[in-house]
Amino acid sequence: MTLDWSVVWDNRWRLIAGAEMTILLTAITMMLALPGGLILALLRLSPLRAVRSATTWFVEFFRATPLILQIYWMFYVLPAAFDIRLSEFATALLGLTLNVSSFNSETFRAGIQSIRPGQWNAGLALGMSKPQVMRKIILPQATLRVLPALASTWVSLFKDTSLVSIIAVADLSYVALKIRSETYRVLEVLTAMAALYCLMGYPQAKLVDWLHRRLKVTE
Amino acid sequence: MDIDVSPLILNWQFILTGLGFTISLSLLSIILGAAIGIFGGVARTYGGPLLDTIGGVYVDLVRSIPVLAILVWTYFAFPLVIGESLTPFTGGVLALGVHLGAYITETIRAGLTSVRPGQMRAALALGMSRTQAIRTIILPQAVIRMLPPLGSLIVIAVKDSAIASVIAVPELLRQSQVLAGKTFRPFEIYTSAMLIYFLICYPTARMIDRIYRNLAPLGAS
Repeated sequence: MTLDWSVVWDNRWRLIAGAEMTILLTAITMMLALPGGLILALLRLSPLRAVRSATTWFVEFFRATPLILQIYWMFYVLPAAFDIRLSEFATALLGLTLNVSSFNSETFRAGIQSIRPGQWNAGLALGMSKPQVMRKIILPQATLRVLPALASTWVSLFKDTSLVSIIAVADLSYVALKIRSETYRVLEVLTAMAALYCLMGYPQAKLVDWLHRRLKVTE
Repeated sequence: MDIDVSPLILNWQFILTGLGFTISLSLLSIILGAAIGIFGGVARTYGGPLLDTIGGVYVDLVRSIPVLAILVWTYFAFPLVIGESLTPFTGGVLALGVHLGAYITETIRAGLTSVRPGQMRAALALGMSRTQAIRTIILPQAVIRMLPPLGSLIVIAVKDSAIASVIAVPELLRQSQVLAGKTFRPFEIYTSAMLIYFLICYPTARMIDRIYRNLAPLGAS
């Protein structure tokens, strides 16, 4: 079996463009999913039972079903059943954002609930309203506490963007698989794809480890 | 929008075959992942610096690559390396198992190292051998602590089995795709696929939560 790595070198710009799309998708999704997750978390902690219930079902549904199926569902069902026509990129973004928002909402909720009740009591005793306490006292502490978990979610999201290749969004996986089917150099192209993901993912994972060490909670 | 579930009812065996493959793919990949993970976790914790480094490379490598990439590489590229072709199902089990193994390795390593070092020192001071100390003192405490992350990894394994549809393993998602393509009723078919996954994963997750809630006090030290 002879290996011909020139295929990878010749197509390097396409692969790099794919990597850029992967990073773009990750960044935009996280930008939307952080506030999205926070909103869902606050809705889950709402005093109104109906709001709490509906949000819980929403979040649990997105956490218990595979992301790939969610993306397929949005891609095929939105135009066919609801007459909503989005571009592939928008559909992918929608699917990823809703999914990651649900995971983020659990993270934020855990962070908010981990702040000692004394903080709440002190804030309320000082005459602040509940939203004020949440905004000025609880959320800043909670966000710092869950930053490592959010960073882990970022790395997972980075890997999950590979799934948008199935609806022909030109991320790294899509581009690599396309090059493979054009050149039939299976081992070289697929190994290059794995290596590129590793190259991008490994520093991120180490950064997350550093964040975990740095922001460890010691009470 | 008219809802017509008749394609589902007519083709229930087709969908059921898919469900069977999903469950068997998940179970086998969990078993393979657990075998790799237990060996890797114990080797990384108690095996000395060489095994720790090798295990570290394996874990960092596998955890930086998406499941899709691992699946595609295992099914298309790996046969070229070993000279034997793999069936989609075998490729799926292998890829998902290796992927899960990395996460289980880290979970077990974290669990084993989370037991306070004083416990090991006390056991050794009492005259126990290392193996005795690990077996009777460290493991019971560590296993309890590993249960929540292991539980969520099980749910993740079921969800990741759906990705095997890209290498044409005839599991639930793939069967749903084929059926939706044939009958042009994507809403009913994909929605019911989502419901089936939800009905598998959500009770599993809650059950694991409940089991852990009952066992958690035993793991504190």
